[in-house]
Amino acid sequence: MSQKKSRGGASAGDDADELSRSPLQAVLLADSFTLKFRPITLERPKVLLPLVNVPMIDYTLSWLETSGVEEVFVFCCAHAQQVKEHLQDAGWTGKPAAREMAVKTVESHDAISAGDALRVMYGRGVINGDFILISGDTISNMSLKDALQEHKDRRKKDPLAVMTMIIKQSKPSVLTQQTRLGNDEIVMAIAPETKELLYYEDRADASHLCVTIDKDILASNPTLQLHNNMEDCYIDICSPEVLSLFTDNFDYQHLRRHFVKGLLVDDIMGYKIYTHEIHSSYAARVDNFRSYDTVSKDIIQRWTYPMVPDVLSFGNCHEMKLHRQGIYKAADVTLSHSAHIGANSVIGNGTNIGEQCKVSNSVIGEGCSIGKNVLIHGSYIWDNVIIEDGCKVSNSLVCDDVHLRAGAVVEPGCILSFKIKVGKNVVVPAYSKVSLLEKPSNEDSDEELEYADTNSAVTDSPPFSSMRNNADHPTVESEDEDLGASETGTSGVLGYIWASGDTGTQEEWRQSIAPIPKEKLQELQHAIAVDDADGSEEDLNNRLREADHDNDSEISVVEDDDYTKFEKEVEETFQRALDGVHQDNLILEINALRLSYSLQHADCAGAVFYSIMRSALVAAQSTTESLLKATADALTKWRDLLRNYTKTVDEEMEILLKFEEMCQDITKEFSALFSKILPYLYDKELVSEDAILRWAEEKANADESDKVFVKQSDAFIQWLKEAEEEEDEDEEE
Amino acid sequence: MPDVQPLVSDFVLKLKRRKVEGSHAVARQTAELLRSVVSQHRMGNTNQAAALADAIRAVGEHLIAANPIELAVGNIVRRVLHIIKEEDISSTAVGIEGLSVTAVSDDEYDSGNDDRPTLSAAVLASHARNTLRAPSLQTLLDDIPVSTALSHSASSAGDSDGKTGDKSLKTRKLKHDVIAAIGDLIEEIDTCYDQISEQAVELIHQNEVILTLGRSRTVKEFLYAAKEKKRSFRVFVAEGAPRYQGHVLAKELVEKGVQTTVITDSAVFAMISRVNMVIVGAHAIMANGGVIAPIGMNMVALAAQRHAVPFVVVAGSHKLCPLYPHNPEVLLNELKSPSDLLDFGEFSNCMNFSTQDGTPLLDVVNPTFDYVPPKLVSLFVTDSGGHSPSYIYRLISEYYSADDLGVRRMSSS
Amino acid sequence: MAMELDAAQNPNPNPDPPISAYYQTRADHHAVVSSDWLAHAAAAASSVTDTDADAAPPPSPGGNGGGVIEEFNMWRRKPEAAEAVAAIMALTAVIRSSRATTMMELEIELKKASDKLKSWDATSISLSAACDLFMRFVTRTSHLEHEKFDAAKSRLIERGEKFGEISLKARKTIAMLSQDFILDGCTMLVHGYSRVVLEILKLAASNRKLFRVLCTEGRPDRTGLRMSNEIAALGIPVKVLIDSAVAYSMDEIDMIFVGADGVVESGGIINMMGTYQIALVAHSMNKPLYVAAESYKFARLYPLDQKDMTPAHRPIDFGVPVPAGVEIETSARDYTPPQYLTLLLTDLGVLTPSVVSDELIQLYL
Repeated sequence: MSQKKSRGGASAGDDADELSRSPLQAVLLADSFTLKFRPITLERPKVLLPLVNVPMIDYTLSWLETSGVEEVFVFCCAHAQQVKEHLQDAGWTGKPAAREMAVKTVESHDAISAGDALRVMYGRGVINGDFILISGDTISNMSLKDALQEHKDRRKKDPLAVMTMIIKQSKPSVLTQQTRLGNDEIVMAIAPETKELLYYEDRADASHLCVTIDKDILASNPTLQLHNNMEDCYIDICSPEVLSLFTDNFDYQHLRRHFVKGLLVDDIMGYKIYTHEIHSSYAARVDNFRSYDTVSKDIIQRWTYPMVPDVLSFGNCHEMKLHRQGIYKAADVTLSHSAHIGANSVIGNGTNIGEQCKVSNSVIGEGCSIGKNVLIHGSYIWDNVIIEDGCKVSNSLVCDDVHLRAGAVVEPGCILSFKIKVGKNVVVPAYSKVSLLEKPSNEDSDEELEYADTNSAVTDSPPFSSMRNNADHPTVESEDEDLGASETGTSGVLGYIWASGDTGTQEEWRQSIAPIPKEKLQELQHAIAVDDADGSEEDLNNRLREADHDNDSEISVVEDDDYTKFEKEVEETFQRALDGVHQDNLILEINALRLSYSLQHADCAGAVFYSIMRSALVAAQSTTESLLKATADALTKWRDLLRNYTKTVDEEMEILLKFEEMCQDITKEFSALFSKILPYLYDKELVSEDAILRWAEEKANADESDKVFVKQSDAFIQWLKEAEEEEDEDEEE
Repeated sequence: MPDVQPLVSDFVLKLKRRKVEGSHAVARQTAELLRSVVSQHRMGNTNQAAALADAIRAVGEHLIAANPIELAVGNIVRRVLHIIKEEDISSTAVGIEGLSVTAVSDDEYDSGNDDRPTLSAAVLASHARNTLRAPSLQTLLDDIPVSTALSHSASSAGDSDGKTGDKSLKTRKLKHDVIAAIGDLIEEIDTCYDQISEQAVELIHQNEVILTLGRSRTVKEFLYAAKEKKRSFRVFVAEGAPRYQGHVLAKELVEKGVQTTVITDSAVFAMISRVNMVIVGAHAIMANGGVIAPIGMNMVALAAQRHAVPFVVVAGSHKLCPLYPHNPEVLLNELKSPSDLLDFGEFSNCMNFSTQDGTPLLDVVNPTFDYVPPKLVSLFVTDSGGHSPSYIYRLISEYYSADDLGVRRMSSS
Repeated sequence: MAMELDAAQNPNPNPDPPISAYYQTRADHHAVVSSDWLAHAAAAASSVTDTDADAAPPPSPGGNGGGVIEEFNMWRRKPEAAEAVAAIMALTAVIRSSRATTMMELEIELKKASDKLKSWDATSISLSAACDLFMRFVTRTSHLEHEKFDAAKSRLIERGEKFGEISLKARKTIAMLSQDFILDGCTMLVHGYSRVVLEILKLAASNRKLFRVLCTEGRPDRTGLRMSNEIAALGIPVKVLIDSAVAYSMDEIDMIFVGADGVVESGGIINMMGTYQIALVAHSMNKPLYVAAESYKFARLYPLDQKDMTPAHRPIDFGVPVPAGVEIETSARDYTPPQYLTLLLTDLGVLTPSVVSDELIQLYL
C-alpha cells in the first residue's frame, strides 16, 4: 500500500511518462474453457477452428497487432501442441524480425478455467503494465486507442479503476431473449457519467423478467442506466492488479461470473470496473454455434472490414475475389456452368462444384469436391470434404475430411466432426452431433472444464467399424437401415452420435447453427400470448416497447416506461410480501424503489393499489362473487400499507384513477364490480368522499367512454353528495 | 536484398491492413521503398539490368497483391522498371558505340570483316530503342530477341575491355543512374500538385461556378491556386456520402476565402445547370481514358454531360494506370464496412439470423469507387498539361514499357 | 515480264465477280454449306471456264508474275493460314526466285508482284495490308541497313517464312490479352467465323471461365453454325440466333466479340455483313463491343461510308426462286465506324480505335 501511495504522490507528468513507456501487452486465452463446441473441440482446439476459412486465432492476433500491441502471451491449455504448431506455421512465432508484435506461448495443462490461466500468468511475472485480456475467438476491428487512453486517464485519477470492459449495442430478440450471438441477454447497470459498471448479470432469469439490484448501488448512485441491449465483447483492458486479484481470490474461475460479479458485489478493496462502448467498429466473440454462424455472416457482410476474406492480411489463405452479392471466390475454383452460387457465399481454393448445384449463404473450404445436384444452404463446409451427387446439407457444420455419399441428407443444426462418413441416402436427423470419438462418460456437472481429457486425444485411425450398435450411443444406421442398407450394405454413419435428445434440447435449438425453427418461434409467440391471458400483458408491452424504442432505460428521466417498470417492480416486491415479508420492510423497499425511479407518492399509491388488486385477482376464483370477496380480503389485509401512501386527496384520486384504468383495459374482470368495490374503499377509509367527488367532477367533462364508471357508481356518488349536504346541514345547525 | 526484406514486408502489411491509403501517399512510399531496394541490390557481373528488374518485379508483385485496388503501387513499380530499362539502354548504347569504334580501328585491313559489327551495332541500337516502345507494326516483322542480343553485346564489350575496374564503374553507374531517376520520380510525385495548379488560371475564369464532389487534395490545391491568382469564383461542394469528405473541403475552402456552397450528392442534378465547370479528382486514370473515382462520380459526370458542362479531372501522373478496366465496378472496387452507412447497434435486430431462416435479409453495400467511362470526361489535367481522354494512351506509352504491363506474369514465367 | 502479266492466263476465276475471290477464300476455310452454294455459284457464273477455286491451280506459265498468285492460292488453301500469311509467303517466294542483284531491283520486282497480287483480288483487305506491310519492311531494311545484298535478301526470306509463326503467335497474344475481358458468368455475342475469336474462347474455356456464347447464324453462308459447332465442342454453352434476333437478345448480352477482315485508318473495321448493325444495337444499349484482329490486318484505307470500299460480292441462296426483276444486295462486308467500337484487341496490345491511325501513320509516313 505504501508503495502505491508513493506512486500516487509522484507528479502526473512522471506517471504519464511511465504509462507510455511500458510496452502494451496482451494475454490471449487460446482455450475457452467451455464445452460448447464439442465434439469438434475434442480433436482440435476451438481457436483453430476456421471462421470463413481462417482460424479464429488469426483474426484475434491480427487485430492485436493492428492495435499496436507489442507482446502477446498466448495461453495454451488443451491441444497446446496444435496451437503452437499453428502459430509457427502461420508465421506468428519464430520470425522475430518480420513482426512488430512478439507472440509468446505459455503452456499449462492444469488450468481448467480462465481464472487458473490468469493465476499462471501472474506466477510467470511477465505482465508489468496495463494489458489486454482477450480470448482467442474474438473478432474485432475496433481501434483500441481511445479505450486505452480512457483507461489510462482514469487510472491516473483513480488507481482503483482496474479494468475497462468493451461493450457494444446489440438488441436481443424479443421472442427468445437471446442476443444475436446466441447468448442470454446481459443486464448491466452503468453510471451514465463515469461509465462505471455497477451491476452485471449474464444469467438474468428471463422468465421472471426481473433484476435485483442492491440498494446500496441505488443509494450511492444518483443516476444509473440499466441496459439489456448491450453485448459484452469480452475484450478487457486490465491493470496488473487484475492478475493479483485472481491470485488472491483463488476461487475465481470465470471472468465474468466470478471476477466481475465478485468485484461488483463484494466490493473488494473498492476496485472498480468501467465500460467503453464502441459504435462504428465491430467486436464479437464466437462463443457457441449460433455466434459462429452470426459472426461468419457478419464477416461476409463486411462489418469486420478490413478483416474480410478478400482483404485478409494474415494466414496462409489464398487470394479471394469479391463478386457481386457478397460472393467470394478463390482463384482456383472449378465451377460447372450450371452450378448456382447464391448470395453471401464463400468458395475456397481448389474446390470443385458440379452441375446443377445450389449453394447459398454458405462457406465452403478448400479442396472440397462437390458432386452434381447438391443443395447446400446456410452451412459451413470445411476443408477437403467430399459431397457426392444429390446430397442436401442445410444449416449444418461439416468438418474437415467428411465424406457424404450420394443422396445423403444432413438436416438443420447438425455437427459432423472430422472424418465422418455418411452412407448413401442416409438422413442425419436435425441437431445431431456426430463424432468419431465417444462422448466422455464422466460428464462433469461443472461447466468450467477443459474440453478434452488428455486420454481422449486424437487417434488417427479410430478403430470403429461402420456398424456400431452401442446401447449408450445409438448410431444413425439403426434408424435408417431400411433406407440405406439394401442399397449399399455399409450404410449409415461411421461414428458416434452424441446424445442430443434428452438433455439440453433447449440449448440445441437456441445455440445451434440452424435458425430457430418456425414451430419454436410460434411456440414462443404463443407462450407470450398465454402470458397475456394471465394478465402480464403489461410486462410484454414493456418488453416490446423496450425493443421497439431505444432500449436504454434511463431512469433519471421520468417517462411512462419508467412508471410501468416501477409498477412492475412494486408488484414483484409485493409478491414477495405475500410470501411473508414484513410489512414495514415492504414499505421500505417500495420507498427505495420510489426514490430510485424518482416518482411521486401518488405513483406509489397507484402501484401498490394495483399490486393489491392483482393479488386479489390471482387469489380469486372465476366467479364475480369470489373475486369481490378476495378483493375485500386483500384490501382489508393491506389497508395499512395503502394508507401509508394515501395521505392527501391527490393520492386517493390516484387510486381511483388507477382503479378505473385497470377496469378499462388491464383487468377487465373488475369492471363489473367497480360500483361494488368503490363503496368498500370508502368504508375502509382508503378513499375519502372528497376524492370521490372530485373524481366525479373531473369526469363530468370527459368523453362519454370515460364516464362509464362514473355512471356505474352514480348511485353511490349521489348518496355521498347527499350525505355531504346533510353533513353541511348538520354543521349549519 | 535481405536488408530491405523487413521494409518490404512492413509496407506489404500496411497496404494489406489498409493503413496506407490514397494514391499520393502510396505512390510516394512505393517509390521510396523501391529506391531502397535498388540501392540494396547487389549487382552481379552479367545482365545487371535484367537482374535488377527481376528484383523490382519480385517486390512489386508482392506490393500489388497486397492491395490490388491501390493502382498507384503498380504504376510506380512499372515506372521504375521502365526507368531501369531506359538507363540500361542509354548505357549500353554508349558501350556499343565504343565497341564499334575500336573494332573499326583494330580491323582496318579487313574491310569485309568490320562491316558486320558496325552494322549490328546500329541494328541493336535501333532495336534497343524499339524495346522501349510498345510493339508496333514497325517491329512486327523484325523480331530479333533483343534482350539476349543486348546482354551478349554488353558482356562481349566487357570481355573485350578486359578491365574489371571499368566494369564495376559501369555497374555502379547504372545503379546510380537508376537511383537518381527514381529520385526524380519521387520529386515528380511531390511536385505534381504545383504543376497541376499552375494550369488553374487558364481553366477557371472570373465569376465561374465550379462543382466538385468529395475532397481531393489535387482539386483543393487547384482551387487554391486559382484563388491566389485573384480569380473570384464560387464552388459547389457535393458532400460525398458516406465519408463526407466534402465537408472538410468546404471548411478548407472557406478558410482561404472561397465562396463555397455545400450540397448533398443527390442535389447535383438540381444544381448542375448553374455550374460552369466540374472539377474533380480521381483515384486512377485507366489506359482507355476511363476514371476510377470516389463513389458518386459517375452520377456527377452524367449530370455534367446532360447539361454540356465540361467535366475536368485533375490528377498527378502517378495515377495514370496502363491497365484497362475490366468490370471496374466490381473488380476495381473496394467494399468497405457497412458501419459507415448505418449503426450496427441500431440495426442489430435486423441481423438476427436465428429468427430469419438463416438468410440475411439486410445487406448493406458500401463501395468506395465509381467508374466514369472516357466518353463522359472532357479533359484531363495532369502535371504534363491538359489531355483529352483519347490521348491518354500516348502518355502511357511515354511512361511505361509495354512488356511491363503484367508485372506478375513476367516474373512467374 | 509485262507481257506475262497481261496474259490471258490471269488465274483469277471471277474477273467480274458475282463471287469475289475474297469470298472464295473464306468459303474454302470455313463454309459449312460451301459445296451447295459453290455448285450453285458455279452454275450461275458459268462464264468462268478456265479455273475453279476448287480445282488445282494450273501449271505455272513460268516467270514471277504467274508464280506469285499461284503461290498465294496454294497458301490460302491451308486451313490454318490467314490470307495475309499466304500473301507474304507468295512474296517471299518471289524474293527467293528473284534474279535481282541489287536491293533496288528486288524492290521493283517485288512491287510489281505485290501490285499484281493486290489487283488479282482488290476486295481482300488483309491481302493488300499484308503486301503493304511486307513492302514497307523491305524498304526499311534496304534503307536503314547498309547490309550486303545477299545478307539482306536471306534475312528478308527468313522473316517472310517466319510470318506464319508470327500470325499464330499474334492470335495467341490476342487470346491472352482478351482473357481479362471475359468475366465469369457473362454472356457474349459473336458474329461470323473468326479464328481469333475462336482462339480467345478456347483459351477462356481452358482457363475454366464460366460464360455463355450467343452466336449469330451468319446468313447466307451460315458461318455461325460452323462457329457454334466448334464452340460447343469446347464445352461452352452456346445458342445460335438468326441474324435479325440480335436486338431482341441484346439485353441478356454482356459483351460482343467480333473479328475483322481489316482495320482501317479511322480505327473502324471492315467485317462480315451485319457487324455494323450489331455495333449500332450494342452502342444504343451500352454494351461493349470488342474487335479481335491481328495487327497485319491494319490497312491503309479510309472509307467514308459503306459504299466507299471495293464491294465483295457473294451469292445468296434464298431457298425460293428470286422473282424476276428483283435486285439482290450481294455485298459480303460492311464498314463499322470507330465510334461504335469499344476496344481493339490486337497483338500490339489493347488499343482504342484512335491508336490505330497513330500506328498506321507511324509506319507509312
